[in-house]
Amino acid sequence: MSEVVLETKDLSMVFPDGTQALKNVTLTIKKGELVSIIGPSGAGKSTFMRSLNMLNKPTDGQIVFEGENVLKARGKQLRQIRRRIGMVFQHFNLIKRSPTYQNVLHGRLGYMPSLKGGLGRFSEEDTRQALEILRRVGLEDQAFKRADELSGGQQQRVGIARAIAQTPSLLLADEPIASLDPSSSENVMTYLKNVCQEDGLTSIVNLHQVDFAKKFAHRIIGIKAGEVVFDGSPKELTEGITNHLYYSK
Amino acid sequence: MSSLAKQIDTPVEENKVPDMYKDLQRRKKVILKNRLVLWAIIAALVTWAWTGTNFSIAFIYTGTANMAAFIFTDLLPPDFSAFGRYLQPALQTVYMSLVGMVISVIFSIFFGFMAAKNTSFHPAIAFTSRAIIAFLRAIPALIWGITLVVAFGLGPLAGTLALGLSGIGILGKAFADVLEEIDQGQVDAVKATGASWFQTMGQGVWPQFKTGFVAWSLYKMDLNIREAAVLGLIGAGGIGYTLQGNINLFQYQQASVGILMIFALILIVEYTTAKIRERLL
Repeated sequence: MSEVVLETKDLSMVFPDGTQALKNVTLTIKKGELVSIIGPSGAGKSTFMRSLNMLNKPTDGQIVFEGENVLKARGKQLRQIRRRIGMVFQHFNLIKRSPTYQNVLHGRLGYMPSLKGGLGRFSEEDTRQALEILRRVGLEDQAFKRADELSGGQQQRVGIARAIAQTPSLLLADEPIASLDPSSSENVMTYLKNVCQEDGLTSIVNLHQVDFAKKFAHRIIGIKAGEVVFDGSPKELTEGITNHLYYSK
Repeated sequence: MSSLAKQIDTPVEENKVPDMYKDLQRRKKVILKNRLVLWAIIAALVTWAWTGTNFSIAFIYTGTANMAAFIFTDLLPPDFSAFGRYLQPALQTVYMSLVGMVISVIFSIFFGFMAAKNTSFHPAIAFTSRAIIAFLRAIPALIWGITLVVAFGLGPLAGTLALGLSGIGILGKAFADVLEEIDQGQVDAVKATGASWFQTMGQGVWPQFKTGFVAWSLYKMDLNIREAAVLGLIGAGGIGYTLQGNINLFQYQQASVGILMIFALILIVEYTTAKIRERLL
């Protein structure tokens, strides 16, 4: 349990317009942890997460993922890092016009030859595996529907399935339940947690609902104005700290 | 009761209401004034253009009479013996339109992807592609046709290339605009799985681009048929070329068959593309 999966050192990000989104974020994430990052909107939670797989490029600092320097990675090396990091998005970001099972198959793209993947010639093995993953998230009946025909909660479960199809070692979830109603939120978080436990996945979940973070995470990190202001267990997160995070200037 | 009396008695309330009404009247007056100025300018422009074109009701009357005389004495009845002579050129017009469309689609996919900010490799490439597309669009197919007839001689090759080149101007821009409007979140999600550039395009971008691509390409086919008919008049092949020959020799009754065939051709192609669009989308 003590093996380090991800390490960031003095990670900073300044947007071209001068906004400092991240300030010297130094964190160590260990194998099997379910970490939740909380903080108000605009605190830098998404920027931090999108930096980890280089969807945006931090201006300074270091990210080490399973011993590899992420910020130095280019081309093929970067793609091989990305395929080991599954990502779930707030707005699901499924390819709406493609069928559900194909969205899950997209998780296999990083393992396929470029041309074959681009043309969507997925192997029988991958397809069977994708259908099996859909069954795991309880969506076997929706497999052949267009992704945008599914409800929000179902779409997010497809998002989880797509990430799982990558057989990742790290799962990032960026506000996975922010666009869902309370009961779907509960449902999606339960699936997310179960999947992580069953596959022994390390995961980082951005949340702005503190109660969900307390209920599901092993460890909570509070970010405010781009800086880490709290790092501890759910029990250690007192009301005082929460108030400081969300309300004080 | 007392609070109501207070409200009525307070002088502030009484002053405020007429104030706002006056303000409204003042604003209305300003708007009315602006509107009158605008209409005066439009009226002046129309009058100017009207006199510039020598447009007069009397001319329309005599013109209509002339046209009716031309239609009934010269064009009608159509000499359907010319049908056979028009069949080959009519087919040629279809070939020209189709090949012209395919040429412009192929090049427009390339230039469109390079011109759209979100799929291009570099902002400089995007700018250059936009510039090339804009240049090709600025020159109408008819002008391309005249230039290409000089270069390649009379015949359908010049017409086909003219359609292809001017088509890149239209389709390239349309494709680039469709691409710039796609949902970047979906593209990011595919990229995040470790997909290569080609995989991201094929699996993330293409599904979103497909409908716009098909609709615009078929629309270009509709436009090509009309333009191809006109291109013949400058010797760039197709049905217009034969029509021009008939008109030059005052064989109006044969020419009217050509006009009817152009009409039919446009209807047939539009019907067909509408059906294809329905099937594909």
